[in-house]
Amino acid sequence: MRDQIARYSAKLLADRSAIPGTIAIAVQDDLLFAVGGEPEATLAEQILGELDALALVVARPPLPFADLLIRRSSPESRQIVPNDTENRTFLHDIPFIRAEEQDSNLAKRIAGLLGGRKGVIVEGVGLVAVGSITVEQAYINYSSVFHSTFVKYLQDLLDEGFLFPGEEENFGAFRREWLLPLTADGLAFRSGPLEHREGILDELATVGRYTVERGLVDSFFGNISCRCGGLIYISQTGASLDALPGCIDPVPFDNSSTTGITASSELLAHRRIYESSGVGTILHGHPRFAVVMSMLCQETECRVDDCWKECPKVRYLDDTPVVAGEIGAGGLARKVPPVIAGPGKAIVFGHGVFTTGTEGFREPLQRMIDVENWCRDEYFRRLDRVTLHPASKSVDKNAAVEVKRGSI
Amino acid sequence: MNGWSGRMLSVDLTAGICTVDEIPEKLLHAYLGGRGLGVRFMRDSHRLHPFDPAMPLIFSVGPLCGTSAPTAARLSVVSRSPLTGTIYDCSAGGKFAWRLKGAGYDLLRIAGISPQPVTLVIGESGGELIPADVLWGTTIPVTVAALEGLGSVAAIGPAGENGVLFANIMMGEGNSVGRGGLGAVMGRKRLKAVVVNGSRNSIIAQRDRFQTARTDVMRLLRASPVIFGELGLAEYGTPALVDLMKQRRMAPTENFSKTWFSDSHRYSGPAMRAECAAVKDGCHGCPIQCKKSTPQGEHLPEYETVSHFGALNGISDLQAIVKANTLCNELGMDTISAAATVAAWGEARGRFPHAGEMSGILESIAHRRGEGELLAQGSRRATEILGRPELSMSIKSLELPAYDPRGAYGMALAYCTSGRGGCHLRAYPISHEILRKPVATDRFSFSGKARIITIAEDTNAAVDSLVACKFSFLGASMEEYSELLSAATGVEYTPQGLKEIGKRICLTERFYNCANGFDFRHDQLPDRFFTQPGSSGDGIEIPPLDRERFDQELQKYYRIRGLTPEGTFADPGFLEQQP
Repeated sequence: MRDQIARYSAKLLADRSAIPGTIAIAVQDDLLFAVGGEPEATLAEQILGELDALALVVARPPLPFADLLIRRSSPESRQIVPNDTENRTFLHDIPFIRAEEQDSNLAKRIAGLLGGRKGVIVEGVGLVAVGSITVEQAYINYSSVFHSTFVKYLQDLLDEGFLFPGEEENFGAFRREWLLPLTADGLAFRSGPLEHREGILDELATVGRYTVERGLVDSFFGNISCRCGGLIYISQTGASLDALPGCIDPVPFDNSSTTGITASSELLAHRRIYESSGVGTILHGHPRFAVVMSMLCQETECRVDDCWKECPKVRYLDDTPVVAGEIGAGGLARKVPPVIAGPGKAIVFGHGVFTTGTEGFREPLQRMIDVENWCRDEYFRRLDRVTLHPASKSVDKNAAVEVKRGSI
Repeated sequence: MNGWSGRMLSVDLTAGICTVDEIPEKLLHAYLGGRGLGVRFMRDSHRLHPFDPAMPLIFSVGPLCGTSAPTAARLSVVSRSPLTGTIYDCSAGGKFAWRLKGAGYDLLRIAGISPQPVTLVIGESGGELIPADVLWGTTIPVTVAALEGLGSVAAIGPAGENGVLFANIMMGEGNSVGRGGLGAVMGRKRLKAVVVNGSRNSIIAQRDRFQTARTDVMRLLRASPVIFGELGLAEYGTPALVDLMKQRRMAPTENFSKTWFSDSHRYSGPAMRAECAAVKDGCHGCPIQCKKSTPQGEHLPEYETVSHFGALNGISDLQAIVKANTLCNELGMDTISAAATVAAWGEARGRFPHAGEMSGILESIAHRRGEGELLAQGSRRATEILGRPELSMSIKSLELPAYDPRGAYGMALAYCTSGRGGCHLRAYPISHEILRKPVATDRFSFSGKARIITIAEDTNAAVDSLVACKFSFLGASMEEYSELLSAATGVEYTPQGLKEIGKRICLTERFYNCANGFDFRHDQLPDRFFTQPGSSGDGIEIPPLDRERFDQELQKYYRIRGLTPEGTFADPGFLEQQP
């Protein structure tokens, strides 16, 4: 257990989703204990002792977005509803506890909320997430909450601007200091075509790790594949892209074997992209600014409520098509293949980015970085206009999201 | 009352009387239904011999049955197993559960022994016993055909009538109440069949909330590659696991002497689709439809069945396996125990049966003729009689299913802690050790598995009490099902609260078993798994299990459960503290 705690504490630092010294992970096998800073470790142990679960993470994120979402919530609100579709599907909502509601029963209150949900925001304390059966699961849930609050706060800013004293200054620091330039500089790739099993497995693992290290995916989201002859080599469901060795399934194109039952839930989307576009590699990540921007829409007379799965239109962010569609056996596998063939990239509403390459992975990784950089620049351009010229907000809000095509 | 009907039908076969009683609301809230409620109603009977006239046979539905909750048209049948001697329950899908709920009953309790064969016919106004002399001795299809005009049928075949210790109760649509021999309990009562034909609608307390939760469940099922993926259970059924178990080198072969069978591709999911033109089939109201049938309606075997009639007996002939499956269904016998008992016998006599022999062997078991008299007692008793007890690959006399424990250490532990014997479904660690749901765990490590197994046992006990299908939980979770339950009943439940109910059920079952003499000595795997390696290859090592490490983890499990090092209860008053 201690090796797992060390591993996921290190991941929380590496992905910059927690402040050093504030991370505590509690576990219970036949004994209950916690490792980490105080007072987080004591709190983590107290909470987990109330739950029928194996692990729990308490940590403070380096960005104040979760706390600010609480402050932005109406007084009667008790939870935040994620807008990104993956977390909407798996988390449903994220309960929170305001600072003024915290008392000596805090651990029991948090445990009560975690008895029904995977993660909780505790204002002034941080994010708390539970793992029913593994430490890894607690990390995944923490990371998912971090991703969700990041995306939702950025969305809310575009809608409402800065509301509180100091909020704009804090956000400026995030923009200048926390965000890092996003490039593919320094990354080495195998040149394609990738034709040998060992080389393919190695390259998938390497590029998966790049995707995580460059911040193009949080949690255990994302997937990657390569076509070689009659096989699709694809990452397994729930595999972390920075830990792919041993977690890649070779799936026969002709479905003559079902060993790929453990493959990514997006196997069908990958297969159809290969069939329709003739590409050799596919990368899928959840870069945050692309997720945020994909959910902006200029439609005013639209009657679609569940835009993330029901929107029938192809919209564009710059030259990248945006389509809606549920994950897995939902609509994503139907809607992405027709639009990705030409540009080699597509965004799924509130979900993430698919990119393709002809032979190797340099092309899809660079494409994903380019999409995210464009979305990042466009986000800040629009935010600046909203915050500097609030009156222009309603006019400018969705100017960058252009509808170019009809229904697909 | 929402969700539940609050009524039970009690049948005394000896006196020929049916009465309707109310179920205390606090018991419904505390045990939900299905397995939990059935286990609670065994409190006064758990010490009785399985064939004692007073031993009840309980059919229990759950609060979600009769609603559109996905995979919830199910029931549990509960009694004491003549094969294992443990408290026993089995979950089964089909219209029978739906119609029992529709008749206005949460629970059916049958006790006594009828002077002559009878069929119990249940409607909304109560139950009636009708003679079944002409049906006695007939197969399941004949019985169902004779009775289905009266409603949905649960029946026994010749195996149940003849006391085969792994006889099933078969549902009319082909679902089985399997493994523990409750068909023999029913046969001993001379109850050939139960027919039920209710049509009342269940009342849902909060419809909008229910619909939202249902939508959430369906979204998660669609997002799960194991369920709705193009290689998943909805497409290929559980035989989708054949290729996976082969690749993982944990397919039990030749009575667990090996873990890899070269010819298993002949009966894999894709092979079955190609050779049998498999089409989707499944439980009433289930969106997954994981069962597969031929276009003519013949049910095709599930993973456990193809693997045990296949690799475990060294057979690769798909048509022979399909025939064996059909025969077991018609005779009313459990396929896993039947195939595993034959495999143990095959190893004992130095020759596994060839494909052409299997049908004759199965017939002889169901009718207790020739070698069938020996094999009808299950592998543990049969191998003891043969002087080769080490060849029974069973725990608490229940034959192990088709996941070799040397290939999944959580499975090894869960087989042993299972209250009903060598069963994969109590904790179902295959979900995380193999299928990576909800997250992957290291299948070759015992680390953390005692806690994981405990949590999973509690969770699955609650699932079995809702009653829902465990396959739903390869996509959805208790978060969504607690919402469905709360919305259906109007009583607030959380995932944590449901796990606490599950814990109460698991401990109650263990208490019953301990009262009947079970302890740590019965929580043991056969020696083979500690002394012989599996079939290593393709870079995967399958060594024997480390006994010392296994024992440590078993002791951890006892500590987590609050048990003594012997796996028993320090507090003899445990039951009295439960609702």
